[in-house]
Amino acid sequence: MKRTFLGEFEEVVLLVVAACTEDAYGVIIWEQLQEQTGRSITISAVHATLYRLEEKGYLSSQMGGATAERGGRRKRFFTVTALGSRALLEIQEMRQRLWQAIPQGKLQLIGQ
Amino acid sequence: MSTNNKPTSQPPRVADRLLNWLVAPHLREDLLGDLHEVYARQLQEVGPGPARRFYWRQTLTYLRPSIIKRKPTDQHPADYPLPFLLSPAMIRNYVKIAWRNLTHAKSFSLINGFGLTLGLACALLIFVVVSHETSYDLHHKNADRIYRVETVNMGNSEAHAGTYTEMTAVLRNEVPEIDRVAPVYRTSGQSIAVPQEGKFFKEPVAFADNDLFKLLDYEWVSGDANTALTRPNQVVLTESHAQKLFGTMDVLGKTVLLGDDHNLSVTGVLKDHPATTNFPFDVLVSLPTLKRISPDYDTHGWGGFGDNYQVYTLLRQGIRPEQLANRFRAIQVKYQQDPETIKNQHFELNPLSQLHYGYNFSGRQANQKLLTILSLIGAFVLLIACINFINLTTAKALRRAKEVGIRKAVGSTRLTLIYQFITEAGLLTFIATLLALLLARTMLPAAANMMGLPLKTRDLFSWPVGTFVTLLFIMTTLLAGTYPAFRLSGMSPIWALKNNKLPRVAGSITFRQSLVVVQFTVSMILISSTLFINRQLSLFKNADLGFNKNAVITVGLPNNDPGKLQTLRSQLIGSPQIKDVSFSFNSPSAESNWMQGIQYRKSTQPVEIRTQMKMVDAHFLTTYGIQLIAGEAFREGDTLPKLIANEVFLKRMGIDKPEKAIGQLVYFGDSQESAPIIGVVKTFHVNSLHQGIDPTLLQVVPKHYYQAGIRLAAENASAETLNATIATIESIWKATFPNKVFSYEFLDETLARAYHNETRTAQLIETATLVAILIACLGLFGLATFSAESRTKEIGVRKVLGASVASIVGLLSGDFLKPVLAAILIAAPIAWYGISEWLKTFEYKINVEWWVFGLAGLLAVGIALLTVSFQSIRAALMNPVKSLRTE
Repeated sequence: MKRTFLGEFEEVVLLVVAACTEDAYGVIIWEQLQEQTGRSITISAVHATLYRLEEKGYLSSQMGGATAERGGRRKRFFTVTALGSRALLEIQEMRQRLWQAIPQGKLQLIGQ
Repeated sequence: MSTNNKPTSQPPRVADRLLNWLVAPHLREDLLGDLHEVYARQLQEVGPGPARRFYWRQTLTYLRPSIIKRKPTDQHPADYPLPFLLSPAMIRNYVKIAWRNLTHAKSFSLINGFGLTLGLACALLIFVVVSHETSYDLHHKNADRIYRVETVNMGNSEAHAGTYTEMTAVLRNEVPEIDRVAPVYRTSGQSIAVPQEGKFFKEPVAFADNDLFKLLDYEWVSGDANTALTRPNQVVLTESHAQKLFGTMDVLGKTVLLGDDHNLSVTGVLKDHPATTNFPFDVLVSLPTLKRISPDYDTHGWGGFGDNYQVYTLLRQGIRPEQLANRFRAIQVKYQQDPETIKNQHFELNPLSQLHYGYNFSGRQANQKLLTILSLIGAFVLLIACINFINLTTAKALRRAKEVGIRKAVGSTRLTLIYQFITEAGLLTFIATLLALLLARTMLPAAANMMGLPLKTRDLFSWPVGTFVTLLFIMTTLLAGTYPAFRLSGMSPIWALKNNKLPRVAGSITFRQSLVVVQFTVSMILISSTLFINRQLSLFKNADLGFNKNAVITVGLPNNDPGKLQTLRSQLIGSPQIKDVSFSFNSPSAESNWMQGIQYRKSTQPVEIRTQMKMVDAHFLTTYGIQLIAGEAFREGDTLPKLIANEVFLKRMGIDKPEKAIGQLVYFGDSQESAPIIGVVKTFHVNSLHQGIDPTLLQVVPKHYYQAGIRLAAENASAETLNATIATIESIWKATFPNKVFSYEFLDETLARAYHNETRTAQLIETATLVAILIACLGLFGLATFSAESRTKEIGVRKVLGASVASIVGLLSGDFLKPVLAAILIAAPIAWYGISEWLKTFEYKINVEWWVFGLAGLLAVGIALLTVSFQSIRAALMNPVKSLRTE
């Protein structure tokens, strides 16, 4: 199977989209990201990542829900695709394996 | 939409513009939407200033490749790639929609297509005629080096086609710049026979030598071009004539009888010449034979020349005819005996390509002026037809503004619309072109007949015509299709859906009106010309000629042996159907005449009278019904020379009373020969009515009898009696002149031929009038449609307010009368000038009367009203509810 690598930021964005309880679109995702990571992120970075993820096939999108404050422009709602879910699961699995492979006490040492 | 006065309620416009420019189109919408949403929140939370700054900061971070990169293959629905608009499916769709539109408005398509068909057919026929007339002898290999030696007398604007017979030898011996010299002498109507086959014909014969075959391109079926016309008594025939004379192609060595006693042996057979040649020779006899047939003919003469002897030259490569002017001058000085002639005459070389515009052997001359006028008419008719077509199509397209709007709203691009409109125009033009070809094919024989051209259907389906038609098709389609296409497709869908008035209506109305003025001006000129020409023709037909032209049959006399003529006459008179017979040089009025100077020497200074001599017999006056007003007629058996004069001659003599002329002596030229006048006839027309009446003398001269005039007993005989009479005449004639070709003519028909040109012009003008009127009507119809269309609402309002149908029809029609009246005012003086110029060529002519212009004007107005009333009545009858409801 062809493996696609997900960058850290990409992974977080993907997770945020997956975790979103309402319809996920640019602004929501951006706010959630800032909230969850506590970092200040530019919208452009979020947009670029979302588009890249869509391009890679982890996300799909459809347009809808125009509002007046957006100047009548539609939102782009993102949903995680099957490929995206699998990628997230694989990463989680891999991390799980790695977590379990850490010898007892080592983490505390490093942690100090 | 409410506009907020605070500019800060919207994000910075410059930033937006930058983003719009920066961000790939497929990402723009949601990206900008997100930014605006964020801005709106920031505005609430932190106020306008920081929000704007934040917006700017965010904007600048979009300067990254993944955002800027354009993606042509992106799946965004609004930016689907433009499909290939000329794919078969689309073309099928265009044609289908076009066809539906055409069939939806049948009458409109019919009228519109008909106008175009008419215009195209006209242009096509004119093209065929002009290309035929301009293609004479262009097929010869050396065409650009062949010239005819022409003789020009000073004071005569036209050169004579012929030259001196000695010229051939002189040019061959003394002018090195000339490669080849080919003389041609042509006679009209020689008797050609193959007695053993029982075939007798009267055919034009050309005398030439082998140089002709090397000058022009000939294809030989059999025989040798180098020896075919070298010795006397040789003849070369064309295929069709070999067939005609012998019934076979295998004729080499066979014998043809020329005249009464010259046996010619066939030395070659040529392929038939094309129709477009000035050398339509079917029987070519070797030049040395000429001397044997007419021993009197001076084949080395330098005294006089005729148009039937022409000399053709092939100039050496690179030599211009102007370079030979001095050569010809020297030849004239060296050989011409008469010093007056040397001074007043010179020779010119006329290129082969120009021969068809002057006297030539083809029997037809093209008129360059007529061809130019014809081409102009063709172009004009085509242009007007095209403009009408565009006008009507545009007027029609107005109704389709809504369709265009909807098409645009559901996603049609401008290009699609343009293709659609062009397909529609193209389809109609295509059908019109096909119909035009059909129409041209049907009309070709009539047109060929009218122009006197040997045109065949084949000429219509040739390469140049094909190219011409294709070009016309493409041009008309583009002209007629692009205007509505660009005009309507350029409108925004909102305009098209809301409104259906084209802007600048006033301007285009003026344009249309001026077009109608032009069209009706032309129609008016043509209508009045037709009226005048027909009046003039009926004047020709019904004029009192001073003799009775009805029920007279003329037959030629191959020989005027008095004994034979005596028997012929007595036998003819014996028939009960024949009233009288007269032998003479020609008819009372004829094309070719014998002119002679006559002197009347009563006073000290002799009066010189240029007189037309009529060589007649004693029965001339009774046969033709010419009235004798003084003196006596000729009597049978008169031997002494006696003359009968007409009134014009008397007037020139200075004698006022006919009786006083009797017994007066007149002299032939300056000789001592004289004859007395024994009678005076009432003036009769000796020429066609183009010319005045010459002073005329009648004299009995038996050796100059060339024709017999036979007056029938019954004026209005039935066809059967007539045929029986002609059969009787033929059998008597054949008995007198065995082995000769009998041909007869009716005198009235012969005379009518003198007006052939005018009849032809009349036919041409009549046709042109018909076409012009039709096209003008179409133009007016288009204008009426257009105007009724754009005034629908106005008419509705008027009707609601109580206007009657009649008043609305009057209102609409009145508008159209204005351009027509303007046209009448413009046309009348032009037509008057043209007609007066044309009439100047006739001695006997009608008066240019003003009521004719009035009649023509009334006709024009009537036709215009008829055309317009259809539209205006329809518009006036329309239910106002309908027209007002459509908002």
